[in-house]
Amino acid sequence: MRAGDLRMHAVEMDNVTKRYGSHTAVDDLSLRVPVGSVYGFIGPNGSGKTTSLRMIMAILYPNEGAISVLGNAIAGKGAADDRVGYLPEERGLYRNITVRETLRFHARLKGHVNNKSDIESWLERMGLEEWGDKKIQALSKGMSQKVQIMAAVIARPELIILDEPFTGLDPVNTDLLRDIILDLRRDGTTIILSTHDMNVAEKMCDAIFMIFNGQKVLDGTMDKIQSDYGRDTLHVRVEGHDGPLDNIEGVTGVTDLGRYQEVRIAPGTDTQGILANLMQLGRVEHFELARPSLHDIFVRIAGPDGAAAMSQSAQTAGAGHE
Amino acid sequence: MNKMFVVASREYLSAVRSKAFIVTIIAMPILMSAGFIAERIAEKGKNVSDRRVAIIDRTGQLYDGLVTAADQRNTFDVFTESADDDGPRQTESKFVLEKIEPGEQSADELAYAISERIRKGDLFAFVDIGSAILDAAPNANPDADREATLRYYTNATTYRALPRWLGQAVSTAVQQHRIRRAGLDPDKLNLMLRGPPIVQLGLVERDAGTGRIGEAETIDRVASFVVPIAMIMLLFAVIMTGASPLIQSTLEEKTQRIAEVLLASLSPFQWMMGKLLGMVGVSLTIVAVYFAGGAFIAMKMDVWQYVPVHLLGWFALYQVLAVLMFGALFIAVGSVCSDHREAQSAVMPVMILIVMPLMLFGQIVQEPNGAFATWFSFFPPATPMLMLTRQAIPPGVPTWQPLVAALLTLLATIACIWAAGRIFRVGILAQGKGAGLREMAKWMIKG
Repeated sequence: MRAGDLRMHAVEMDNVTKRYGSHTAVDDLSLRVPVGSVYGFIGPNGSGKTTSLRMIMAILYPNEGAISVLGNAIAGKGAADDRVGYLPEERGLYRNITVRETLRFHARLKGHVNNKSDIESWLERMGLEEWGDKKIQALSKGMSQKVQIMAAVIARPELIILDEPFTGLDPVNTDLLRDIILDLRRDGTTIILSTHDMNVAEKMCDAIFMIFNGQKVLDGTMDKIQSDYGRDTLHVRVEGHDGPLDNIEGVTGVTDLGRYQEVRIAPGTDTQGILANLMQLGRVEHFELARPSLHDIFVRIAGPDGAAAMSQSAQTAGAGHE
Repeated sequence: MNKMFVVASREYLSAVRSKAFIVTIIAMPILMSAGFIAERIAEKGKNVSDRRVAIIDRTGQLYDGLVTAADQRNTFDVFTESADDDGPRQTESKFVLEKIEPGEQSADELAYAISERIRKGDLFAFVDIGSAILDAAPNANPDADREATLRYYTNATTYRALPRWLGQAVSTAVQQHRIRRAGLDPDKLNLMLRGPPIVQLGLVERDAGTGRIGEAETIDRVASFVVPIAMIMLLFAVIMTGASPLIQSTLEEKTQRIAEVLLASLSPFQWMMGKLLGMVGVSLTIVAVYFAGGAFIAMKMDVWQYVPVHLLGWFALYQVLAVLMFGALFIAVGSVCSDHREAQSAVMPVMILIVMPLMLFGQIVQEPNGAFATWFSFFPPATPMLMLTRQAIPPGVPTWQPLVAALLTLLATIACIWAAGRIFRVGILAQGKGAGLREMAKWMIKG
């Protein structure tokens, strides 16, 4: 299924829950990955990200809910669709076979039998033609990483899940991989890109999904997310005033960033009122309704304050049920 | 199915192209025939120099007879026909006798003087034949009655050939002397005392086609002992070579993080079965090489009648079942362990199951159709080796026995693969400390 197909979503998860014993790794998760998009999958370590990706790959099965990948419902057995490629975060290759044999093996596993020309063109693109007949154990870490990426895309998948694909790559190869991902998208491939690098996610992804403590906390385009979070942050600089700003009505927090102060305001606060209050303190040199970076949003959600808030809201919800 | 064969072919090629496989295929026959080879080497390097032995014949009547017996032995019994056309080869030392007259000196002084000669290397041993030996009662006490015994002195206490020969030769000489003294002809008496030869035969059977009762076959020691032991050893070696590498390869796939990449393309069961089929292929390759080699040698040495052609089908069936059964167990163990050390101890119970038939082999050979052997050969982990052994020992077993035992083994193999598949599915992605028995049982039941 490529972009332009009638189906809208490459992956659909509906109310999916996955438990390990008493621990709930993924909690009532629903998401839609649009066909032909680069879909950023972010979340702190241990938040349920890998479990969600493994469920999409049919390596794990949910306790509740339904998952559909490229139009096929994932049943409780069997393997992932051959049209799906996967580069897991914890990756490994057989060390005693050659690069070409490795690629041939992965292509055949996905049912792509006539793979010779694909293998050669990928080796050329990755600059590894000379290394095709070398054993994996002879490769450097970065080269192995490139072979791993090739193994994930060699069978021309319609959906690719890349979990931390940039780890271990130098800047040149990072650029090369970024171009490859964008080319794949141009060809209509849907890409789920899991990363801890917020900068990469912000620049490359059409939509971002964030999971935290097993629950969805962000889902949408970068614009939408930023505008959702952007209404409560101001960057201000008041000449001659280094004192506290948090006694101004509506201000919930202030972070001194040196060149300016980042002011967090309560929802519904009139920013003009804040400006008026600031003007009484001194000459306002800078007043900006800021769009927070994805990094800021991530830290706001997954940082100590966010985690505490989330656990408090969970407790409230729990109390409500009692 | 196709994916299974992709994994199987990778597993197969990776195994047969490894140095370990090539070493195994060459080294295994060498190790298995190490005893035989060592014997041949020892034989070639054996000391066959003359052993000089001094004889003090206090009866005065036995020495000449002993010299005749020694001459006969030195002429006919110390040579062996060699396989190559070099003619007879000396494989035993000749015994050269030297007569010592007792003289005037005391027995102790004489014994000391000859002992000194032995210490100097002039002699190998000496024997003192008591003067009353011709009249001695059969149960004479050797300590109490010195003159009624044969005393053998040497400082090479572990060399048994000489005292054995001397004992026999002196006994024969004494017996003949006594027979003659009784007025009888020793040659006639020997003929009278000679027992009839025993020929071991199998049972007589009636030919189903012609209805005629056939001749019973002579029981051949090679066919009834050497062939079964060769088959059980080969089957054991093939199981070990075919199944045991699976623990290492599974552990590698788990610790090197290959598992998750593969599971993105095929189900755990397809993967496990692919690995098993690959190793079945490896074991069949080894057997094909060995049987081809064995058949070639058998034809060259003209011992083709010993090649158990009628059991080859059973051998292949047992081999495939055993590699699948034990291979599945090895995979399960490999998938729950986190390092090699942990795997080494976890694999012990499986190893015991594999080795057990070898330990019971002696008892099975003694009574292949006894209750113990029969019942044990129906125990699936032991069936491949024990039933095959029983089939290989003439006259074999009733046809229903291998059929039922193979069916039971097949069911046990399916059960092992099913259980291993469920353990493998969870274990291969589990991180941290290896799982215990309780955890494995939980995975097996709940999946």
